[in-house]
Amino acid sequence: MSNILRVTALHAGYGAGDILKGVDLELAAGSILTIIGPNGSGKSTLAKTLAGLLPARAGTIELDGRSLNGLGAPKRVLAGISYVPQEYNVFRNLTVLENLKIAREFMGANGKAARGRDDGLEELFPELPKHYRIAAGNLSGGQRQMLAFACALAGRPKLLILDEPSAGLSPILTREVFERVERVNRSGVSILMIEQNAIEALRISQSCVVLNGGRVRACASAREVLGMKDLNSIYLGDASNRI
Amino acid sequence: MLQTAFNGVVTGVIMALPALAVTLLFGVLKFPNFAVGAMMTVAAYLAFALNAQLGWPLAAATVAAAVAMGALCIGIDQLTFRPLRERGAITLMVASLGLGFILENVARFAYGNTARSFAIELARPFRFADVRMNHEQMITIAVSSAAMIAMWVLLTRLPMGRAMRAVADNPSLALVRGIESPRVIRWTWFLAGVLLALGGVLIGMDRALEPPMGSNYLISVFGAAILGGLGSPLGAFVGALVIGVVSELSTLVIAPNYRIGIPLLAIAVILVFRPQGLFGQPYIRR
Repeated sequence: MSNILRVTALHAGYGAGDILKGVDLELAAGSILTIIGPNGSGKSTLAKTLAGLLPARAGTIELDGRSLNGLGAPKRVLAGISYVPQEYNVFRNLTVLENLKIAREFMGANGKAARGRDDGLEELFPELPKHYRIAAGNLSGGQRQMLAFACALAGRPKLLILDEPSAGLSPILTREVFERVERVNRSGVSILMIEQNAIEALRISQSCVVLNGGRVRACASAREVLGMKDLNSIYLGDASNRI
Repeated sequence: MLQTAFNGVVTGVIMALPALAVTLLFGVLKFPNFAVGAMMTVAAYLAFALNAQLGWPLAAATVAAAVAMGALCIGIDQLTFRPLRERGAITLMVASLGLGFILENVARFAYGNTARSFAIELARPFRFADVRMNHEQMITIAVSSAAMIAMWVLLTRLPMGRAMRAVADNPSLALVRGIESPRVIRWTWFLAGVLLALGGVLIGMDRALEPPMGSNYLISVFGAAILGGLGSPLGAFVGALVIGVVSELSTLVIAPNYRIGIPLLAIAVILVFRPQGLFGQPYIRR
């Protein structure tokens, strides 16, 4: 299978030091890759660097064979990367409908052409039309996550980057989020997902990367990682008790 | 009393224009632009040059001055604020103070300190329910209301308006939603320039043209924007009306010279009891 994303020797960070110290990873087209690792390991920094919010200090990022280095975040959106931050992932003062409109107007690869097209979002997120007139800041945590998710898909991305989509959600909502992630993936979108909730995430993933100290410590199939007792105890924290 | 309240409404709708400019600029660029007063002055003199010196009708002169001021604001941003964008709000605010001095004195250099007025025909005021309204006041209310409605339509119905609100709400999310912020910033400055030009001309019509004409309104304009909630367009309008009416009404009980204390009082009270203003969102620092 060809790779949709190829990251080579990526360095990035804030201030003086690097947080990512030479990250290499590949994501097979059409698959889900979960990134796990302890707090401060550079997971969110990696997501922000891929999305173009943080410049890469060294190394390369390629999407579908095309280098993204030097492209700002809006240009990367047009290139096919869509990123859902962990927090503040909707425009809180804008209504649900306005959030969706903005995503449709600005994320589409061909602007106006994408606007009229039926992107099937209402079908995938049937709960959203009920809340169209509500300010997104007044939604519950689960609803907000779904809205963020829907907006991120408006431009029909090639690669969706999710930073802890289940953070702060109840177990039922978490399951629902992962179910949607799976459905989106089945529609042909490759997904890079950062998750604390490693067990649930790995169950729907094909591959897994363990990040620690800004470096890739392990890279394996999701099934393999789920079976590794020692890795679990080191990197999955409390979740390891459940295996 | 009714007459005073009406005068207050007129002052309020004039201030609503620069207050909206302040709030738009603050929302998108996150700094208080203290040059708005001087920007109004410069725009008013631009309209004066076309109207009184070249003989254009005031309406045409105002439209031309508004477009010119919009373009000038984009240029000013490129030269003054863009290089300082990463330095934080205080640096930008100080730069805006300096810019204000420069612009006001450019106007002074060109036209001197003498008060001037637009070439408009005097018309007999008419009375309605014991309230005397003159032509300029009616034009002021009509122009300001139309500008407010146009801004509302733009901010809620057009993609660029929504993008401006999105950038004001969450700049980094706006980037990953595909919104190019430099373009949004240029539009914001252009619209602010147009609003300030309209405000400047209306002040010139209401009072007279003189170099400090814009900066005289600065405290009231910031009072209105803070009262309404910085970053909230609706708040700017309501805040301006409240400050305008209350300031005018206060002259019934205190000496007119002290009415400038009303917006200052409003700023102090609102900052103590409701820092986000009447319609603003609590400011979240991330």
